[in-house]
Amino acid sequence: MSDDAADVQRVLAGDVDAYAALVDRYYDRCARFAVRMLGNRDDAEDALQATFLRAYRALNRYQERDRFSAWLYRILVNQCRSIAARRAHRERVFVREEAVLLNAPDRRQHWSGEDEELVQRVLNELDPLLREAFLLKYIEEMSYEEMSALTGVGVSALKMRVKRACDRLRDRWERIKDD
Amino acid sequence: MTDAEDHPYVEWIAREARRPVATDPAARARVMEFVRREPAPRFSVWHRLVQPRALSLSPLASVALAAGLVGIGIFTGLFVLRRDGQTLAEQPLAVAPTVSGLPASDTVVTFIFAGKASQVSLVGDFNGWDAKATPMTKVVPQGTYWSVTLPLSAGRHVYAFVVDSQWVADQHAPLAPDDGFGRPNSVRLVGRGSSL
Amino acid sequence: MTRYRSLIRGAAGLVACLASQAVAQASDPLSKLDPNSRFAVEAMIDSARVAGLPSRMLWLRAVEGINKGADSRRIVAAVRERFVHLKDARAVLSQATDDELAAAADLLEAKVKPEALIPFRNPGRGRSPLLALTILGDLVTRGVPRDDALSAISKFWMGGAGDAEFMGLFRGVESDILQGLNPGAALQNRVREFPGRAPSSIKPTTTPPAGEPETPNS
Repeated sequence: MSDDAADVQRVLAGDVDAYAALVDRYYDRCARFAVRMLGNRDDAEDALQATFLRAYRALNRYQERDRFSAWLYRILVNQCRSIAARRAHRERVFVREEAVLLNAPDRRQHWSGEDEELVQRVLNELDPLLREAFLLKYIEEMSYEEMSALTGVGVSALKMRVKRACDRLRDRWERIKDD
Repeated sequence: MTDAEDHPYVEWIAREARRPVATDPAARARVMEFVRREPAPRFSVWHRLVQPRALSLSPLASVALAAGLVGIGIFTGLFVLRRDGQTLAEQPLAVAPTVSGLPASDTVVTFIFAGKASQVSLVGDFNGWDAKATPMTKVVPQGTYWSVTLPLSAGRHVYAFVVDSQWVADQHAPLAPDDGFGRPNSVRLVGRGSSL
Repeated sequence: MTRYRSLIRGAAGLVACLASQAVAQASDPLSKLDPNSRFAVEAMIDSARVAGLPSRMLWLRAVEGINKGADSRRIVAAVRERFVHLKDARAVLSQATDDELAAAADLLEAKVKPEALIPFRNPGRGRSPLLALTILGDLVTRGVPRDDALSAISKFWMGGAGDAEFMGLFRGVESDILQGLNPGAALQNRVREFPGRAPSSIKPTTTPPAGEPETPNS
């Protein structure tokens, strides 16, 4: 039995602290996806909170033969989509937030500062569906079959989205280098 | 991998995006705070039993299974008849799931085809253009009027009749131009509580 | 005896349900396309979704072609045409509903120029050009010269005509054509029956033509 499955069993047997082990194991990785997908820290934290809470409530429906990470990511991806849809009319405040966050000392340790901001800006320019596919493929390094099971979208459509995301990024480079 | 996916700029973006992001320890701690307030999830036998499971079958296996199951169904039905020794006025076993209850936005609409034929069915955007889905019946046994009544959602619907395997438009409804398959279809507009 | 019968019936019902699920699962219409055509169609459906166009219409177009027995190349071409026309219709009628968009795309398929749809933009409170566009499509399909049909319907629409007037026009022209009258002449006859009207605040009525035996769901 994997660590994940063992921890799930312990939680279902009444040991809530076993859930903390699962959170510790997956929080950072989920945070990376949520921040890259949503483009700002507040929304990402909301998505993470909702994801881990929903996962906890649904733990008795988790089946051992599924990979826990895939099961968790399905919840995470849907939470990110919901939050993105809700904030569709909100003004993007990413740039101002970035300035505030960059000044907070304890947050700088994992960042390269300027590059981080640039990369996020570039990702933000991608259409959400293309961004999601790109992140799942190249940041989460999932197979197309895993992505399909997670998103409910067909493999060929996902391949098309990834390709299109890469085309957009490459086109952006062509524009930048000519400036 | 396509050319674009191999591009150094794209690889750079992916590499940078794979770096960890800083997280707020307070936000992480809040997750467990909220979790501890929740009722504990319990292992549920009932959930395991009623959880839908996806079957993966090849098309041939699916057909064989369906045929087998329908066979069992028919056999069971026959068994019921024989045990009773009389004809039961029961509904035939439905292989297709029946829809019970209409959404409030649906209107019941009747389609009529007039003409000599052995078999007529209705096809359209509401049944995936499936000639087997909505057969029409004669209004009077020896007559030439065929009809079917079904619920349709409000809005625009495109349809045609399949008359002895030939697709024909409804000449008494607005026609939609040829959609690339050589024959025009017909249009039915369904409002809330009425149809045109 | 009764309990035994109902047990058997219950089991038979369960069996039938499982059978239907297996059958439904085995039917994926697009699987009848060869892989390249399927990829092309799915890519267009996905593009339409990303562009905010009604992608289901593309799926339905493909399924229609499959069920009509058209070959894959024709199906892909038909789906592509539909996609392009939906996009062009959206460019002109940015506020249109999906149904209005579909009716407009039909007209573009009948070689009506996109600019000709301009009068149907921004219909104003309580009006929808859906029936007008549908009737226009019908007239063109029945052989009424395109410019004549366009001119007549646009004038009606801009003059404030409602659903009842459009249905009246349709019934009249249809009846004349079925009785053998030349389509262009049939339109001219019926247009004469409807005096031109200035834009008004008359609300369009949506009355079903007499004799249609449908009932609203209660």
